[in-house]
Amino acid sequence: MAALGRAALLLAFGLIAYALIAGSYAAWKRRRRLALSAQNALIAAFPATLVAAAVLFVALGRRDLTFAYVAQHTSHKLPLGYALSAFWGGQEGSLLLWLLILSGYAGLAVWLNRRSRDLVAWTVPVFALVASFFAFMLCFVSSPFNVAPAPADGAGMVPSLQNPYMLAHPPMLYLGYVGLTVPFAFAMGALLSGRTDERWIVATRRWTLAAWTFLGVGQLIGSHWAYVEIGWGGYYAWDPVENAALMPWLAATAFLHSVMIQEKRGMLKVWNMVLVALAFNLSLFGTFLTRSGVIDSIHSFSQSPIGGWFLGFLVLMVVLSVALIYWRLPLLRTKTRLESLVSREATFLYNNLLLVALCLTILWGVLYPVLSDAVRGETRSVSKPYYDFFLHTFGLPLLLLMGIGPLVAWRRASLRSLGKTFLIPFGFAVITGVVLLALGFGSSWPGLLTYTFSAFVVASIALEFVRGRAATGSVVRLIGRNRRRYGGYIVHAAVVLLAIGIAGSSAYQTVREQHLRPGQSIEAAGYTLTYRGSTDVRGANYTGFRALLSASGHGEHFNLDPGMNDYAIEGPSNEASIYHDPRSLGDVFTKAQLVKGNVIDLQVLVKPLVNLIWAAGFVFVLGALIAMWPDAVEQRRLAARYAAGAVPAGL
Amino acid sequence: MAAALAVFVVYTALAGNGVAQLKPSTLAGHGGDVTVVGAVVGKVTGDAYGRSGMRFQLRDIGSAGAARVPVVYRGSVPDLFKTGRDVVVEGTLRNGVFVAKPGSLITKCPSKYGPGKTTSST
Amino acid sequence: MPRERSRPGSDVAWALALAAVLAVVAVVFVARPFLRDPAPASDQLDELAPEARQRLALAEERDRALAALKELEFDHRTGKVSDVDYRAQVGPLRRRAAEALRALERGEQPGHERSPDHGQRVS
Repeated sequence: MAALGRAALLLAFGLIAYALIAGSYAAWKRRRRLALSAQNALIAAFPATLVAAAVLFVALGRRDLTFAYVAQHTSHKLPLGYALSAFWGGQEGSLLLWLLILSGYAGLAVWLNRRSRDLVAWTVPVFALVASFFAFMLCFVSSPFNVAPAPADGAGMVPSLQNPYMLAHPPMLYLGYVGLTVPFAFAMGALLSGRTDERWIVATRRWTLAAWTFLGVGQLIGSHWAYVEIGWGGYYAWDPVENAALMPWLAATAFLHSVMIQEKRGMLKVWNMVLVALAFNLSLFGTFLTRSGVIDSIHSFSQSPIGGWFLGFLVLMVVLSVALIYWRLPLLRTKTRLESLVSREATFLYNNLLLVALCLTILWGVLYPVLSDAVRGETRSVSKPYYDFFLHTFGLPLLLLMGIGPLVAWRRASLRSLGKTFLIPFGFAVITGVVLLALGFGSSWPGLLTYTFSAFVVASIALEFVRGRAATGSVVRLIGRNRRRYGGYIVHAAVVLLAIGIAGSSAYQTVREQHLRPGQSIEAAGYTLTYRGSTDVRGANYTGFRALLSASGHGEHFNLDPGMNDYAIEGPSNEASIYHDPRSLGDVFTKAQLVKGNVIDLQVLVKPLVNLIWAAGFVFVLGALIAMWPDAVEQRRLAARYAAGAVPAGL
Repeated sequence: MAAALAVFVVYTALAGNGVAQLKPSTLAGHGGDVTVVGAVVGKVTGDAYGRSGMRFQLRDIGSAGAARVPVVYRGSVPDLFKTGRDVVVEGTLRNGVFVAKPGSLITKCPSKYGPGKTTSST
Repeated sequence: MPRERSRPGSDVAWALALAAVLAVVAVVFVARPFLRDPAPASDQLDELAPEARQRLALAEERDRALAALKELEFDHRTGKVSDVDYRAQVGPLRRRAAEALRALERGEQPGHERSPDHGQRVS
């Protein structure tokens, strides 16, 4: 069976290598049939990879421990769902997942746009170049199909990964990471073929939006998982692994906005190329970071077999991107200039600057330990205060801009009309700010500013809907006719929810910790929790305890049972107990550890509004779907523009 | 605009002055508050809530060096803490023993999915 | 978990057969463009001729101008753009759109001696 997997991967590698070499030659020498042949090879790589993936899935499902990979990541007692999810739990499997998704996306994107032959002729080798790296690694460096004599039992899976979120989080992220390859490949294809028109943007707009959505949702799922499962009471720790996903997402957000400017005004062509290359290379970097341990210590980097390869490939792609953009600079330059610093284009530009600045600050924070080790021989790292500072410095103005943007017209907005449109949201925000200040929210100025700015944005978005509805008659018609704009507003609303949830649960949270004997109580933010006693628990692969708490406050009564599980193989793990308070949309988060006998150390975190963060995820997806929704009229218009009878379909 | 960005990047280079992360082999001689990154070796004895605290030893991650630092820790124990795990802990070196700041112990999750965390919250 | 009955020989045989079939299918698919069209009239990969590029740029310009007009109307109707601003902007925008339309029509003038731009027309 492993032989089949290996053979399938070799076949995939062969096809991809052919697509790369033959495709480049065909595009360069303008050979039609060879280009088509290369295209076919790229498309065929997907079924080959699929076979390899199927082999691994079956081996995992069967717990076939002759596969070294299966033995390393599963065990006989591991439930089936988690055993299958071990596919992406290890290095080799996650490389295979990358290749699987990439070959699928690439094949589909190329096939959908096959009518634009000159563009696709160059896009194929770019896709193939990226895919060839992963295929090469899978075949010759890091294979999931190594066999070894089967041990008695596998190594099992870390308990914190045995959680439904683990089934969704990595695949979501990968669908996002890999998805950013699509706009990148088409962008580089456009540069290589010398096309300066918008074809590549039109082809990839929905792909980019989809990838960006997956990446965002994947991060939210990961945060939620960390919150409930790892159980330290937070959801984001600025860990390099987390930042690895945030950075490409920020770059992609900037790209999604600036691409709109190129569509509307024909400006910023160079900037868009830079952004799409940045987003793609950051997603490669993110994959590399998560898989190679380079950030732990510059020395552990050299111990990971793939670290060096990945770095080399990343450098290659960066150099290639820069070279291509530089080469085509003359073609990309336009004469269009920004007409006014007070226009929607300008707000998009400011938004871009802030997003990229935030992204680069995070990148710097991530690289700092590596650089300081290389330069000074001593590893220094930055932590929460650094990131929080920049999150406030860049994030708050970004929040504000989300409210300003919709109010400003394209090209040029006179200060007078600005004054009129700004009045209501501004007034609403000021009133909110004053009220909050009076209620004591001034204890945290970033929190207060977040709430106030959020009020501004909410008012601004609401006004858009109100005014729009007045103009078109109904909200449904309004949205239907302006899907991108109003889908975008809904996404902005999701971001506001996110901001409010984050501010509430961090700036205004209450933390209390105390040793408790049975019968004793602890108070936090108006809640009283009483420790009743502890009880033992036992599961298939663990033993542990739970501290039984009865709680009351704000007119509610509820029970909590925080504790710990001790897993036979993997060690102890925290089992936090959380109460979701419908009144405040917040949580009462409890953690307990046994001190001695049945005395516990109890930690209580009261986190107002934290559930808005998760709710934001749903609103986010809704908005993105609306923005993505195909518009028949628009499709026809684009079809007429680019090719007779063909739809330049993205998705 | 590029200039503004450049100025800002330089600023962060200076502003983000980072916290030293030392390895057990480089810890000797550093006074004051530091952060140590290492792998737990040997037996873990004592009780993190007990009077004399939890005791364990750290060595450099990845290398087979001989440097060992004894650590005394009090406070809540993070997820998955056991011998062999990579950890990060803050504290001060006193008379050859690293006295940890209570609650500052973090485990690094070996599978590289989601770091283990301490009681400090976001 | 029931222990698998080991039949390594048969398993490997299946695997090899499947792999071989896959490889053959893949090779045929890759060779298809050559098999279908062994002696084509032209093996030239179409690219956009300069006129086609010009026309595309003009079409995009036209679409941009029309879209901008549409948005201006909408923004005016919803009150975001005042009457004063509207009047100031609508004239130039309409002129731009008209110019783009005219330029496009001129390009489509007879003189159909267009170089092959078969990249636009599709089989």
